[in-house]
Amino acid sequence: MDSPTRDCPREDDVLEAIARDRLAGVEDHLASCAICADLAAVARALRDDHAAACREAQPPSAAIVWWRATIRARAEAARTVSQPITILQGVAAACGIGLACGTATLVWPSLRAFAAGVDLVARLDARRDDLAAVSTLAAHYSLPLLLAVAACLVIAPFAVYLALNDE
Amino acid sequence: MREMTLSTVDRLGTAAAGAEDVFHMDEDAFRLFYDRTARALWAYLSRATGDARLADDLLQETYYRFLRATAPLQDDAHRRHYLFRIATNLVRDARRRPRADALQIDDRVEHADPRQTHVVEGAAARVDVRRALARLKPRERDLLWLAYAQGSSHKEIAEALGLKTGSIKLLLFRARRRLAGLLRGHERG
Repeated sequence: MDSPTRDCPREDDVLEAIARDRLAGVEDHLASCAICADLAAVARALRDDHAAACREAQPPSAAIVWWRATIRARAEAARTVSQPITILQGVAAACGIGLACGTATLVWPSLRAFAAGVDLVARLDARRDDLAAVSTLAAHYSLPLLLAVAACLVIAPFAVYLALNDE
Repeated sequence: MREMTLSTVDRLGTAAAGAEDVFHMDEDAFRLFYDRTARALWAYLSRATGDARLADDLLQETYYRFLRATAPLQDDAHRRHYLFRIATNLVRDARRRPRADALQIDDRVEHADPRQTHVVEGAAARVDVRRALARLKPRERDLLWLAYAQGSSHKEIAEALGLKTGSIKLLLFRARRRLAGLLRGHERG
């Protein structure tokens, strides 16, 4: 069946005969031309298989395909809209962590002084000088600590309100 | 990340309400086009993948991508051609991740009523074609199906498969000769 040429001038006639189911008109040619014989065998087999597949096909209705496409398009649009919100949440979380670290750095000396005061009280010999020293220390270092705690108490409700508010 | 409340969903839903505006067709036009093309497209997808369930999934995906297409589509023939081009790309992607249950041969031959000889013969012939197609290279299968089942031109086939128009004739010749040989083998066997 191997042929030195790859095409036959009557290929279109053969395809047309197959399309019209009139192979009788080209049967003599098919018997003598290997190229057209292959063409006819393949084209007929595929045409019949295509027709059978189209008959067997049970695609969903157009309404269902349209509905699914609409739902998907909406989901994708919603995802696009919510993307900046997610980014904003990330930025807010980073700011919160930064603020917490900053506050801790500021408050740390006060905490250390407070711990020193507690240590002093523990070793207190009930002497008047020591009591005076403790009072001075407490008055000196507790003010920033109290301010930080007060600030947290004032800011926290606002932060919670802003975080949970949908509007 | 915090959970979305109902009002958030409503707000996002409203923002996305016009999502179908991105489709280049309205529902009525789509319905007409779908009714003209869906069966042929499903037939192509099912034969190209050898898997009816995968063909269902790819059908939905093909129409979704078609609806969101930004390319200008002048007439029905152009739209149809574009649809098959999307399908061909999806089939190619699907082949890169093969499924374990792929390539199911129709078992209706075994279940057909033996008294209905023409039904059995027809079904057997179709199974032969499918088996023969399954033994071809994916590109050969696409080439032959588009050319002889779909009736696409060489130019359309070249565009769908990403080949040069000038090479289609030779590739078709080789694929045709191979499939004809396989079909003759089935006939003899």
